[in-house]
Amino acid sequence: MTNHQHILTLAVLLGAVGLWLMLPRGGARGRAVGTVLGIVALGLWFSQFHGLGQWTADGMFFVLAAIAVVAAVGAVTSRNPVYCAIWFGLSLLGTAGLLLLAGAQFIAVATVLVYAGAILVMFLFVLMVAQPEGKASCDQMSWEAGVSAAAGIAMVGVLSVAIGGILAPSCPAMPPIAPPTQEELAAGVLDPHQVARLGDELFGRRLIAVEVAGTLLLAALVGAAVIVNQFSGRRHDGQQKTV
Amino acid sequence: MLTHATQRTTMKSDDRNINWVQEPRLGLAGRSYLLLFVQGLTTTLRHFFSRKKTVQSPEQRHEIPDPSIYRGVHRLNRDQRGRVKCVACFLCATACPANCIDIVAAESPWTDREKYPQSFTIDELRCIFCGMCEEACPVDAIELTSLYDLSGKSREEMVFDKEKLLSVYDRTKDAKPMRTSRGEGRGAGDGE
Amino acid sequence: MPPVLESLLKIAVLVGGLMTAAAYLVLVERWIAAWVQDRLGPNRVGVPLTKIRLFGLGQPVADGVKFLTKGEFTPGQVDKILYFVAPVAIFVAAMAAFAVVPLGSVVLPASWGFDGPVRLAVAPGLDVGMLYIFAVGSVAVYGVVLGGWASNNKYSFFGAVRSSAQLISYELPLGLGILGVILATGSLRLDNIIVEQARSGTWNVFVQPLGFVVFCVAAFAEAGRLPFDLPEAEQELVGGYHTEYLGVKLMLFMVSEFLHMILAAFLIVILFLGGWHFWGLTGSAEAVSWPVALLRVVVLLAKVMGVILFFMLARWSWPRFRYDQLMEVAWKVMIPWGLINVVVVATWMEYGVQLARPWNLSAAQGMAIVGWGVLLLCWLATTIIDPTASGNRPRRDLSVNDNCSE
Repeated sequence: MTNHQHILTLAVLLGAVGLWLMLPRGGARGRAVGTVLGIVALGLWFSQFHGLGQWTADGMFFVLAAIAVVAAVGAVTSRNPVYCAIWFGLSLLGTAGLLLLAGAQFIAVATVLVYAGAILVMFLFVLMVAQPEGKASCDQMSWEAGVSAAAGIAMVGVLSVAIGGILAPSCPAMPPIAPPTQEELAAGVLDPHQVARLGDELFGRRLIAVEVAGTLLLAALVGAAVIVNQFSGRRHDGQQKTV
Repeated sequence: MLTHATQRTTMKSDDRNINWVQEPRLGLAGRSYLLLFVQGLTTTLRHFFSRKKTVQSPEQRHEIPDPSIYRGVHRLNRDQRGRVKCVACFLCATACPANCIDIVAAESPWTDREKYPQSFTIDELRCIFCGMCEEACPVDAIELTSLYDLSGKSREEMVFDKEKLLSVYDRTKDAKPMRTSRGEGRGAGDGE
Repeated sequence: MPPVLESLLKIAVLVGGLMTAAAYLVLVERWIAAWVQDRLGPNRVGVPLTKIRLFGLGQPVADGVKFLTKGEFTPGQVDKILYFVAPVAIFVAAMAAFAVVPLGSVVLPASWGFDGPVRLAVAPGLDVGMLYIFAVGSVAVYGVVLGGWASNNKYSFFGAVRSSAQLISYELPLGLGILGVILATGSLRLDNIIVEQARSGTWNVFVQPLGFVVFCVAAFAEAGRLPFDLPEAEQELVGGYHTEYLGVKLMLFMVSEFLHMILAAFLIVILFLGGWHFWGLTGSAEAVSWPVALLRVVVLLAKVMGVILFFMLARWSWPRFRYDQLMEVAWKVMIPWGLINVVVVATWMEYGVQLARPWNLSAAQGMAIVGWGVLLLCWLATTIIDPTASGNRPRRDLSVNDNCSE
């Protein structure tokens, strides 16, 4: 274990404790302490990532990553379900920005389009229509706060220790990751036919997978239509006679 | 579930008092939406290029087609000898739905009538310009003129007293002559 | 010129131009509204403190000053944070969509420090241009939904609910309308779509009229313009989702609405009306010297202005749809039409050349004939089947009592 791995482990542990304190656990205290711990953890965590490339790209990375992480924390710690949804949307936007920065244009745009644009708006819609008179008490607290925090720590810990270990400049076993050369960029990310190539791949080699996914969604759609028709069957039949 | 009370007040669908109207069936042209599309656009374009009806207000004055029926600012008419025609009968104040007319009556200094208005004020801000006072007046002393751009800088300024109402008459008597000479003549020959 | 500086310059020009355009379009909208109603419209405000009137061209400045100097009042019942976030979100989303809108490419002298042609768009390298506009456009729904919800007012909320359902529904025909163009071009990039149309000399509206109709209707609905302005139907909902807003925040909502309209006009022109191309005027090479590039920008903006004028005239020409009609137009007419369009275009792309050969037609001519034929057939079929016939009129056998008693 090198020095920065200690720091990373510490950051992850601190973050987990902070997150646990911040989660709405039904009358539990210590949210302010949790926030402070979380900020410290985030600072420590980010301090271990450096040497990625130019300052513009680096700065953008840190800003977007901070937005994504802070928004994700906000999404699980807010008491108001509508705020949770908004934080989640912001987190998705941050993630999409990171993907765009990494050159994955299609995935970035698809994330925003599908998650932030369609699914989350449906969430909001349901939240607003279903609870016009206020929040239910069961929505205001997080169930299994401890388990959630532990699951989070496992996930983030493994990822950051692993990736952070690779990125560390002092690590002798691994050479630091060099920014991609102009030729590599031209062949991959900046290729003007990037999306066309992605489409070729999806509808060529992976055609069966795409079709299976499409069929599954179609089945879900038909199922939803059947379920809806069960509830409004009688009135619907009456109307159909006249049309 | 409906309660008993609401059920009684709700009309049954076979109630004989309900007149069921059938929506007229649209023809093929109506259902294609094209007719409506063309109609709407041609109407819009016709008006788009038509002559505009705007009156450019401070420079141009709005022409009132018939001043004798227009309901603008009030005036108190004078008789032939320049006295206020009003006899302080309170009919206008009684008829006024906005209660904006305030009259203080006093014994008339002239012999042809018993009372005259010592003060006569109209709150033009409360007035709704319905013309009831004009209808009610037995001697046609109060009339609505065709002055429409009434304005003032304070609320007090908009409460018109007798002098101001008479001055409105002096300003507008040429544009809009008095409707009748009712109330004139009675004892016209009497001295002061 | 360093790329960062170039980008910043483009952003500055874009933001400045768009804000000015939005302000002056308000004036144009008021003029057109007035002329259609036999009035003259705003024609007084000119240079301040003088008597120079300039046909009322000072009006937007006066409007702006009025908005900016209004008292900042926050209603007591609102959700404070979201109430502030909503107008910002909708404005940012509306503005961000313009990053990929191209105005052409220009070759500048190498002595100025440019190597290669300069693309007149903020983010010319984005290969997913069209999808990006979709993604950002879908974020704009947040502004409407949050604004309506945070206002804590039932009219605002109705407006927001209506709006989100409408925007989500009409995103499908919008996408289907575009799909035909993308299939024909083979690229999601907007400047490629224009160059393709300029090269072949046939605008997409001639060969894909069905897609054009679907896209136009959906674009009207997405921009929230009459006859699809249910989100803020003044007669029913006071002001819709921005009932509780005033001052600068209301201005952000208003400007965003105009930005949506400008974007819709840009997309209609770029996707279907040939972008900067005009026969015999602008040529068809991708990058040109600056006089031609300027001419192209002028042609493009003239077309956009024409489409915007149509938007504004449409407002006074047709009555607003009822909400169920709005949904039925989307789901029962526009989406089937869009699907048919995609299938027809895809089939023609695959077999068109062989199908056109025996008739001695070029591929474009054949496509045009097929396209217009399909449009006619679709319209006729819709007219006869009449899927939007409303079944919600009061009926004898379905009274309130009968329904409630079950």
